[in-house]
Amino acid sequence: MDRLLADIVDTGFSEVSSADGIRPHYLELMHRLESLGPENLSARAQLLDSIFQSLGITFAVYGHDQGVERTWPMDLVPRIIPADEWRPVEAGLVQRVTALNAFLDDLYVGEGAAIRDGIVPRWIIESADGYTRDAYGIEVPSGARCAIAGIDIVRDGDGVYRVLEDNLRVPSGISYVLENRVAMTRVLPVAFAQHAVRPVNHYGSSLLKALRASSPRASGDPTVAVLTPGVANSAYFEHAFLARQMGVELVEGRDLLVDEHVVYMRTTRGLQRVDVLYRRIGDEFLDPVVFRPDSLLGVPGIVSAARAGNVTIANAVGNGAADDKGVYPFVPDLIRFYLGQEPILPNVTTYLPWEPDQLPMILERLDQLVVKPVAEAGGYGIVVGSKATDSELAAVAANLKKNPRGYIAQETVSLSTHPTFIDGKLRPRHIDLRPFVLTGETVEVIPGGLTRVALREGSLIVNSSQGGGSKDTWVLAG
Amino acid sequence: MLSRHAEHLYWIGRHIERAEDTARMLDVTFHTLLESPVGEADTAWRELLEVLALAPKYGDRPLTPSRVGHFLVLDRKNPGSVVSAVSQARENARSVRDRISTELWEAINQFHLELAARDVEGELMAQPYEVLRWIRDRGQLIAGVASETMPRDDGYRFIRLGTLLERSEMACRLLAVRYARLVTTGRGMAFHAWVSVLKSVSAFEAYLKEYRAALDPTKVLEFLLLSPTFPRSVLFCLQEAESLLVELASDDEMRPGVVMMIGRVRAKVEFCDIDQILETGLDTFLEALQGEIYATADSADVHFFRSGTELDLHTYESI
Repeated sequence: MDRLLADIVDTGFSEVSSADGIRPHYLELMHRLESLGPENLSARAQLLDSIFQSLGITFAVYGHDQGVERTWPMDLVPRIIPADEWRPVEAGLVQRVTALNAFLDDLYVGEGAAIRDGIVPRWIIESADGYTRDAYGIEVPSGARCAIAGIDIVRDGDGVYRVLEDNLRVPSGISYVLENRVAMTRVLPVAFAQHAVRPVNHYGSSLLKALRASSPRASGDPTVAVLTPGVANSAYFEHAFLARQMGVELVEGRDLLVDEHVVYMRTTRGLQRVDVLYRRIGDEFLDPVVFRPDSLLGVPGIVSAARAGNVTIANAVGNGAADDKGVYPFVPDLIRFYLGQEPILPNVTTYLPWEPDQLPMILERLDQLVVKPVAEAGGYGIVVGSKATDSELAAVAANLKKNPRGYIAQETVSLSTHPTFIDGKLRPRHIDLRPFVLTGETVEVIPGGLTRVALREGSLIVNSSQGGGSKDTWVLAG
Repeated sequence: MLSRHAEHLYWIGRHIERAEDTARMLDVTFHTLLESPVGEADTAWRELLEVLALAPKYGDRPLTPSRVGHFLVLDRKNPGSVVSAVSQARENARSVRDRISTELWEAINQFHLELAARDVEGELMAQPYEVLRWIRDRGQLIAGVASETMPRDDGYRFIRLGTLLERSEMACRLLAVRYARLVTTGRGMAFHAWVSVLKSVSAFEAYLKEYRAALDPTKVLEFLLLSPTFPRSVLFCLQEAESLLVELASDDEMRPGVVMMIGRVRAKVEFCDIDQILETGLDTFLEALQGEIYATADSADVHFFRSGTELDLHTYESI
């Protein structure tokens, strides 16, 4: 192993090895990689790259280089999660998403019991970026408001799985999970066959089943469509991929119209009614009548069609009330309140700058904490105290004092590390995990999810928009 | 299928057919002029522009071979030029990438890329035959790839419908411009002129097989208008377009207007009396026929691509 494995970094829980050597569930894989040798592995890493290139699987990077497209970076070394480790994670995800669905449904069409009983402050919910009064009264069949949830999970220094963030609006990445698996079986077929890896390729049919189950029309054969902002969107590849996997139409706003509160697609055989719309457009662009009037991506009248019970919008409008980072600290209490259970998956320890008794401590410990803006996604705006310069810390402190509701502070979780094939060696890099949870008639977790890896040494930011890569994630049967 | 997708597919068919027809007719004109009496050149170029429905767009620019050639092949400001048609076909194909076969996408994309990479301007000056034949071949290659790699579903039907309507309009204009004038100006005896009319739609050899070298103006008209077997005759195009439209509208409870229209115009051609038409005026007949084909295409556009448009106003009013 010495030839391949580079120095172990001393921070973070190591997924592969412990003080006693390689962990048992990684023995076979590490042995196989060792027997292939560095040259062979380099060749396979190149093959991996060319597979994604020829498939045209890319993502757009916003920010400095506007609209630059990069090939999807996938690492050669898969992550393995043994069955007994996955079981509680899966149960914890089902529990969490069930509670979040219950909370959102109660908030928008119920009695708002969590607010009434003081579990979460009303003002926190109402000041959440994704909260909207326009969602009140919109029923979703069986309360499946988060049809597709992406829950970001990390492992702390003790190897404990913790929830870092909930994504309940339009979480993306599942297409990469499926494509990573296909590519992996081509570059490391023998290693793959040596493990009893649970499949992920049923995602399309599971998603379709969940979406059809949420159709407002009880009878017949509900029509599902995927709504995309169009080819210019960075996740367009995924939108087209999912429509193909489900065998449904990929529509744009201009393909739809609403008449008498019913949503139709314009087809060559006339107008065809749409029952369930899996939208990959944010709330603010969804319906120019209700939200941004300048949006050309959306469909005028679609929110009123949902309110009339003629179409299910998935995920539901207003879900941002539950995945706001300011609401996140209250999720464990929401689980206790709505389910009467102890949370299986803990949060990362989080402090609330808007609480007068917590702000001084946060300011005091800024160089040890991570500060996150509540309204940003994709890793933008996060300040890791231990790596920040004095002037950066001063700026964060000023922001916290000026707008305490705009941020949360968390204990630094030194994400677990995993050997990653870089420049001919296996080097430890920090990873996280985004499992995908589907809510239909039941709540289903796709085994594993998207493992993201921070390719830069020591970096804790795994987002692909910030130089992150990905790994195939093997959940073992057992 | 989504109206937006259908519209893109339809325009792939139209643009590719247009590029191919343009190259063929330009080629024929170049070569006919080599054998023509001096002084006919201006007329020939003017007529070519009229057949391609681009005379107004060309305006009163000088009718030199290089300028007309550039205008018809390379001018990006001319939406009917070969480069414009091919790049529009590619844009349409890109928007329905998931709906067409990879082979078809690659054939169209390749055409577009090679057109940009070749020195078409230089080739048009030096040896137009080669480059124009290449364009024609590419168009036919794409039609063949579509035919051999696409399932016979509505997607293929819309591509084909676009091809056939473009081709039938082109054939009508060819007859109206070249044929009618040859007859009325008394140049009707010129052998090479008839050859060029037939070659403009690849019909020369097929005609000879059918009529054994007798270049009789009435027979040429009969062949180009009424041949049930030649794939570029007006009747052939209309018959196939009609059966496509019937299939495309097969779910409709009532036969839609567009099916009635194509049926009427097809019947008008199929059961026409050539002698009577020549007697009462070919111009009038062809002008009416063109109008009816345009109207049918418009009706197809509204029926298949604009469903629910009338409802949009209503929706906005109720807000």
